[in-house]
Amino acid sequence: MLHVAVIIKLEPDFSEGNVSYNSDGTLNRAETKNILGPHSAVACNAAFYCKVRYGAQVSVGTMGPPIAESALKQAQILSDAEELNLYSDRMFAGADTLATAEVLKNGIEKMFGGNKIDIVFSGHRASDGETGQTGPQTAWKLGYTFLGNVIDFEIDLERKVVFAKRVISLQGMDTIIEEIESPLPVFITIDPSYRSIFNTVSQRLAANNFRKEASKRIEDTGQYLKILDGKKLELDPKLVGLPGSPTIVYRVEKIPRAKTNRKAEIVDPSNVNNLAPVIEKLIQISRGK
Amino acid sequence: MEQFDVAIIGGGSAGLSALKKLSDLNKSAILIEAGNSIGTKNVSGGILYSKKDPQGRIYNVEDVFGSDFTSNAPVERLIKKYLLHATSMNKIFTIDMTPLHDYKTNFAYSVLLNRLTPWFAELASESAEKHGGGIITGVHVSDIQWVDNKTIVRTNELEDFAVRSIIAADGINSEIAQITSARGKFTPEEVYFGVKVIIKLPEKIIEERFHLDSTEGSAHLFAGDITLNHVGGGFLYTNRDTLSLGAVYHYNSLLSNPVAPSQLIDELIKNPLISEYIKDEVTLRNGNEGLSKEDQLKVHLGVSKLIKTYNELRDKYFSKDNMKLIESGKFGNLEEVKSKIDSIKHDLNEKFGVQFVSNYVELEFSAKLIPDGKRCMMKKPHFKNILFIGDAAGRGIFIGPKIEGLNVGIDDAVRAAIAISRSIDSNNFDSNYLGNYYESLVNESPYTREMSMIDENYLNLFLELVKDIPMGTIDHRLSFGLQVIKNKHLRGISLRLANYLGYNRILPLIESEKTYVQIPMLLANKLGDIVNSTFVPSIPTLPDRIANLQYNDDSESHIIVNDKKSEFMKKLILLCPTKCYSLEGNDVVLQHEGCVECGTCSVGTVWKHPKGEKGIRYRYG
Ligand SMILES: Cc1cc2nc3c(=O)[nH]c(=O)nc-3n(C[C@H](O)[C@H](O)[C@H](O)COP(=O)(O)OP(=O)(O)OC[C@H]3O[C@@H](n4cnc5c(N)ncnc54)[C@H](O)[C@@H]3O)c2cc1C
Ligand code: SF4
Repeated sequence: MLHVAVIIKLEPDFSEGNVSYNSDGTLNRAETKNILGPHSAVACNAAFYCKVRYGAQVSVGTMGPPIAESALKQAQILSDAEELNLYSDRMFAGADTLATAEVLKNGIEKMFGGNKIDIVFSGHRASDGETGQTGPQTAWKLGYTFLGNVIDFEIDLERKVVFAKRVISLQGMDTIIEEIESPLPVFITIDPSYRSIFNTVSQRLAANNFRKEASKRIEDTGQYLKILDGKKLELDPKLVGLPGSPTIVYRVEKIPRAKTNRKAEIVDPSNVNNLAPVIEKLIQISRGK
Repeated sequence: MEQFDVAIIGGGSAGLSALKKLSDLNKSAILIEAGNSIGTKNVSGGILYSKKDPQGRIYNVEDVFGSDFTSNAPVERLIKKYLLHATSMNKIFTIDMTPLHDYKTNFAYSVLLNRLTPWFAELASESAEKHGGGIITGVHVSDIQWVDNKTIVRTNELEDFAVRSIIAADGINSEIAQITSARGKFTPEEVYFGVKVIIKLPEKIIEERFHLDSTEGSAHLFAGDITLNHVGGGFLYTNRDTLSLGAVYHYNSLLSNPVAPSQLIDELIKNPLISEYIKDEVTLRNGNEGLSKEDQLKVHLGVSKLIKTYNELRDKYFSKDNMKLIESGKFGNLEEVKSKIDSIKHDLNEKFGVQFVSNYVELEFSAKLIPDGKRCMMKKPHFKNILFIGDAAGRGIFIGPKIEGLNVGIDDAVRAAIAISRSIDSNNFDSNYLGNYYESLVNESPYTREMSMIDENYLNLFLELVKDIPMGTIDHRLSFGLQVIKNKHLRGISLRLANYLGYNRILPLIESEKTYVQIPMLLANKLGDIVNSTFVPSIPTLPDRIANLQYNDDSESHIIVNDKKSEFMKKLILLCPTKCYSLEGNDVVLQHEGCVECGTCSVGTVWKHPKGEKGIRYRYG
């Protein structure tokens, strides 16, 4: 049986009407609605693919405050997870990526009663100021092979290997697609362009069944949810939260609001005649004028 | 290659019934539907009938989806009244045809297919999953091949798979029929063209206006000048909180006197009786001309929000669930809700100059061909190991005011399921064993008889209903007919003669401009009451109607015109309901993006459904 984990992140919903800022211009986390991050959602899709194709069992984990439960629920709809884990403890506060990775590592090791996880998926990065390091650091702590920017993968269950395609884009060079084979276990960060493709009848039927199962499961998320604190995770307080974070933020630069240098004209769309000049302008722009 | 016992192609009412029945017979079947979800491609009028017939078994919707269908299914209203309105300008003569509607009927509900078929799908897939089957949406079957004793299904989206049998439930424009050459394309002589709009009207207003209780509904048929001189007529069915207003015309009649389908709808709407039926209080905003453009836009957005709140609250207040507003704790009683609505209305009017006027609201425009079974049902509704059901088999009852396709497709579906189940049990899918057996089952269906010969009792009932109308005084040319109608003996003889001659010979007599246009107009003129409308409805233009539809565009066209210069294609410039055809020089060119997949152009084109998930997505159907 293939065991798959997804590490997700609860992120502020930056869409209009949901985001809220403090008077000093910083994000007001308490007031801003939180959702499952779009990159995390793609990672959930990859886990769901493993479920449909290889009958995998899925466990989702996240570090965050108790409100992170809603993101776990969203992750369960997408991945039909059999297990949801919330790593929540005051002692985790102020964690940088390394301290976060420590929590996640212990969390992953405890999934499915300590049954070894074959693949850990995480999003490419988070959209609220994370630098894409949590994934690689967690992989390193777990001692798993790390595969970044994966756009496609297949698994050979018998040989216990994964074949993956990853995109490598370097500035000034053509984008390369690298094909790699690696023994399990692996830690995969999924590229945002990843799409699960189910192209046989049985896969489609299985996907439908699992989706149905997922929508039943979320009716009672509590049944699947485990809340683990530092103690239950058997974490060393020196390695988590602020004490475990070597990153020192010595000053936060307020990003000055960019001056608008665009001129905007409001066009009333209810009168079709107003659109003619817009189209003319668009044509001019497309011609490079 | 994966292999399955049965593939059902098409997830309309017929295909879903086949899946449910096969699964209930403990057989494993998969259903492939091109639409991105069930219900987005299906259009009906529509009244779903449950029927009985002393001369043979009919398989009804409740036989397939459970005896609690009437209490559980998302149906609209139980049709209790059935009225025929003859129209001529503002004169209307109404005949109560309820006995015709009740004839051989257990019950009949108005339905919206995008509300009903997802419910069918839920039950069918639940049953199917127990046997390893299920429903796959967003997949378009593009070919069927027989290779090495295997039947291979090819799609645009999935790997090929093999099946032992197929139920083709892919509708009137069946590609399976074309691919296999099981039948030719239906000709304009064989089909009707249907066009429809869904109109929003709050629940309680419907009940008050049509004198209905909270579950009851009525059906209204129209003939006369509203047809613009075509063979066919209009219909208006009450749904729960909408009305289905449409028209069906013999395609040949439209070809000989082409008219834009949306104009046929407009003609209905302009009729004073209909405009009074659909009338609602609608907001009309002013332009805020005095303000700067920026402020105008701000006001515009603010007013939009307020109007939305107003409409939502008003719809809830006028719905049968209005007590939920009280239960939610937001309001103490209905009076409070009413005064809240009035206060928003007052604000909108006083502060923003919004007026409240009589008009109506269209929600969806749709169109589709309908098979006239008496002209086009497949005599041999099978080919090799494929069984055709419903519209795909050209099976539908079209007699006078009667349009029945949904119930016929369900009856076919059960018969196909029984035949295939027997083949699975005996491991014999030979066309002689499977196909011929299905054919015999279909021939036993009372519906097949109804499509083959005139039902004397039905016609008698009709004639009884009209016998007291003093038609002879209206037009002496009708006196002979009247003598026949009044005299039971003569009636019997002429009916027997008619059946002896066969449907084909007498159709031109029954289905003519005379019966659908001239006689109704005469009746209305001479005997009708004057009905005046209290407002002039402002009717959306066709571009407005199209803009309101939802599509998932495919860059590649699913239709290829055979002969760009043909007279037939030139007529399509007017007849295509969404104006996909236009003239460039001497050539008729197609812009497929607005296509609603009605099939009207199919005779002159290589016509396929769009690929999986692509094309029109109806929200009501
Ligand atoms: C205006 C109008 C009024 C009507 N009024 C009534 C009425 O009052 N009462 C009544 O009983 N009947 C009425 N009918 C007829 C009735 O609606 C039809 O007979 C019925 O909907 C047909 O059902 P079906 O399942 O056979 O076909 P459809 O509903 O057409 O379903 C066919 C399905 O197959 C899918 N499909 C097609 N090709 C493929 C492919 N290659 N691969 C995968 N999927 C495919 C389509 O997407 C579609 O979902 C009316 C019809 C119209 C248009
Ligand atoms: S292009 Fe053909 S099928 Fe499409 S809407 Fe027009 S007539 Fe109907």
